[in-house]
Amino acid sequence: MVVSAPLLSATGIVATRRADGHDIRVLNGVDIALRAGDIVELRGPSGAGKTTLLLALARLLPGAGGILALEGEPATAIAPEVWRTRVALLPQRTVLSEGAVAYNLRLPFSLKVREGVAAPEECDLREALDDVGLDDISLRRDARQLSVGQVARVALLRVLLARPRVLLLDEPDASLDDASAAAVAGMTARFAAEGGAVLRVSHLRTDAAATANYRLAAGRLTEVIADAS
Amino acid sequence: MPASGVVAIAWPQLALAAGFILVTAVLSLALGLGLAKDLAVASARTYLQLLALGFVLRWVFAARLWWIVVVLLGIMTVVATRIVLKRSPDAPPGLFGSAFLSMALTSVTVTFAVTALIVRVPVWYEPRYVIPIAGMVLGNSMTGIALALERLFSDLDSRTEEILALTALGASRWELASASVRTSLRAGLIPTINAMAAAGIVFIPGMMTGQVLAGADPLEATKYQIVVMLMVSAATAVGSIMAVMLSYRRRFSTDGVYLEKGIRGVR
Repeated sequence: MVVSAPLLSATGIVATRRADGHDIRVLNGVDIALRAGDIVELRGPSGAGKTTLLLALARLLPGAGGILALEGEPATAIAPEVWRTRVALLPQRTVLSEGAVAYNLRLPFSLKVREGVAAPEECDLREALDDVGLDDISLRRDARQLSVGQVARVALLRVLLARPRVLLLDEPDASLDDASAAAVAGMTARFAAEGGAVLRVSHLRTDAAATANYRLAAGRLTEVIADAS
Repeated sequence: MPASGVVAIAWPQLALAAGFILVTAVLSLALGLGLAKDLAVASARTYLQLLALGFVLRWVFAARLWWIVVVLLGIMTVVATRIVLKRSPDAPPGLFGSAFLSMALTSVTVTFAVTALIVRVPVWYEPRYVIPIAGMVLGNSMTGIALALERLFSDLDSRTEEILALTALGASRWELASASVRTSLRAGLIPTINAMAAAGIVFIPGMMTGQVLAGADPLEATKYQIVVMLMVSAATAVGSIMAVMLSYRRRFSTDGVYLEKGIRGVR
């Protein structure tokens, strides 16, 4: 069996956080590799540094250390903004910008980093919304009027339409009902099936499509092997 | 009335003006406002500071030395910069340079443009014109810049979650901050625009009032006031834009990540 090279590899990731006047090492040499098709679930106690790890992998954590590479290319050779278009983080508390749903979905294509990349047509946006069960949402609807579940799906769709290679999801189904959570799981499964890699922090639900489970505790990452019995 | 047209105020009459504050202090005591002491201190400071200014200006106007004018302009700009930074408690450290530069460049340019091109003073440093005009320009642009900077950093903080989502999509520092930059510049310029719109209808501007009381022809005083108002507005606008553009980047790390409250100090 040929093992494919990882899309994203991280070695010796370290990060400290300052609390009550002391530096606390939240990540103490974390290694992880995500391959095409992977859906990796990340669990751990509150405050273990799960969000911190996602931020470090997306290069959104000033002061974090360690070695990152994307498809074999070191992070130092890729501008941070470009890196974030390929390793996309969806924060836990996603906020859409002021404006219509269509404006929000096209927003990534208005950024300088995607200059020259054509934004999806209105019919493509409509189709994408229908696919994730948002057929009752008009493209012209004010994004601030959407429910929590609708915002979560539109925000994930916005990230997916921008075609990253790796998706980092921070509790994407927190505060979602079962139907919305299932829609989110379906979207991530399709992304992985098309050759992407997913790392998702989970708290409440278990993703049935997960290919691996990791636990983060005391600054270290360990793989959780499912009990065969 | 003296030849200059100014009705001089004698020292006893000047002391009498404090009587009005005394009435206010009595009202404050009667209503339990707790402002009597503050009023007394503020009144004493008004007497002392303005009389000291009068003596200093009398000496500066008589001396007519270019370096004294330059030193005074420098001191005025430093003090104005300190006040701006004090009024923007959320601003990141290290902004003194950009705030000072914004105020110094705009105020000096505008002041000397007015004195040299419009008033056409015989010598460029004529203190009787340069210092009062610089004071007005600095005072107004100081308020505008302080408002703009305060709004910039409070608006950025209120958008922390949106900024993180946009950064994760690949947005640059300018793309992340531009909405807050526009909001802050509007906040900094609205008082100036309102003052221009209301001048002459709602109130008679201070400089014109002073000139009319000093015996100047109202039409001549109006011309001065128009020039000063337009120049002050220009200085406020350009100064605010410069200060905001020079400082918004300081809230971001070198990798373009917004430094929210928990991670400030990390670059």
